[in-house]
Amino acid sequence: MRFLSAIALFALWMVLSASYNVAHVALGAVVAIIVVWLSPKAAPNARRFSLTAAIAYVPWLFIRVLKSGFHVCGLILKPGLPIKPELIKHKTELSSDGELVVLGNSITLTPGTITVEVAAGELIVHAIDPSSQQDLVSGALDRKVGQLFTAKESG
Amino acid sequence: MTWLAIFIIAVGLFFLVVGSIGILRLPDVFSRAHALSLTDSLGAAFVLAGLAVYEGFTVNFLRIVVVLLLVYLMNPVISHATLRAAYRSGLRPSVREEK
Amino acid sequence: MNSFLVFVLFTLTALMLVYLYRVVRGPSVFDRVLGLNGISTKAIVLLVVLGSMFERVDMFVDISTGYALLNLVGALAIAKFLEERGAARE
Repeated sequence: MRFLSAIALFALWMVLSASYNVAHVALGAVVAIIVVWLSPKAAPNARRFSLTAAIAYVPWLFIRVLKSGFHVCGLILKPGLPIKPELIKHKTELSSDGELVVLGNSITLTPGTITVEVAAGELIVHAIDPSSQQDLVSGALDRKVGQLFTAKESG
Repeated sequence: MTWLAIFIIAVGLFFLVVGSIGILRLPDVFSRAHALSLTDSLGAAFVLAGLAVYEGFTVNFLRIVVVLLLVYLMNPVISHATLRAAYRSGLRPSVREEK
Repeated sequence: MNSFLVFVLFTLTALMLVYLYRVVRGPSVFDRVLGLNGISTKAIVLLVVLGSMFERVDMFVDISTGYALLNLVGALAIAKFLEERGAARE
């Protein structure tokens, strides 16, 4: 796992760097290894992030963002400004930090809903009108985020 | 390829313009954040994606994708931090009574 | 394509003025912070457009990445500060 993150950091260096001579590439490799070596190890009972689920999650989230984006566009452009903002409390059974981060970021990324406050097991979400709460209240988002993290096996 | 890029950038510009209209029209800070999230997650993303398509499949494509990912990871964090500060310092969204 | 990119540049600048209005006018301090955030998102995009125009994307991407990271740290610091102080005075 740490080996993979070193590879990822090195790939980022290669993409951003503009010069590919030996000195720069070697410097990148050394820096990637040092950064991974200095960064703290994951907690032993941490849940693992599953890459395949993430690849399926991103397009799903993007389609959702696009749909609610057009919805919010309609709301803004209508002459009467038909918004009904309210704060809703969203109970969730996701509890680990990683899951809460992904859930909160996904909610905020979607136009129409924004995470205002996060506590363990409860999020306060500001929704601009009732129909943009649909996905959240029905729990579809929670289930998707829950699938992203699997219990940790060895390694 | 160029026309595809122009189309994608135009879609992004549309979202950017609507987001700006929203930030003028919407009544309070919580609703304005919705307009901002429209601008960020759709407008900027489409414009950057269009530029990436215009660059074609070179290393510049990957560079623009890195910026795109950065915008996607960063902006929700900033909106959330700002709104949390607003919420904790006692601001509440205005609720309209009309049904 | 180049003239279209110039058009995009001008549109982005005009939209930044709209956000600037919100920053100057904004009733609460949080409106101002949100407006600044919107301006810097547009500045990031504008830098990449500029790079595409001059065909030096490799250089301008670095600038916009640095700008984005500075903006993140700055906005988080402002939010943290306002959270502790509260918005008693506006």
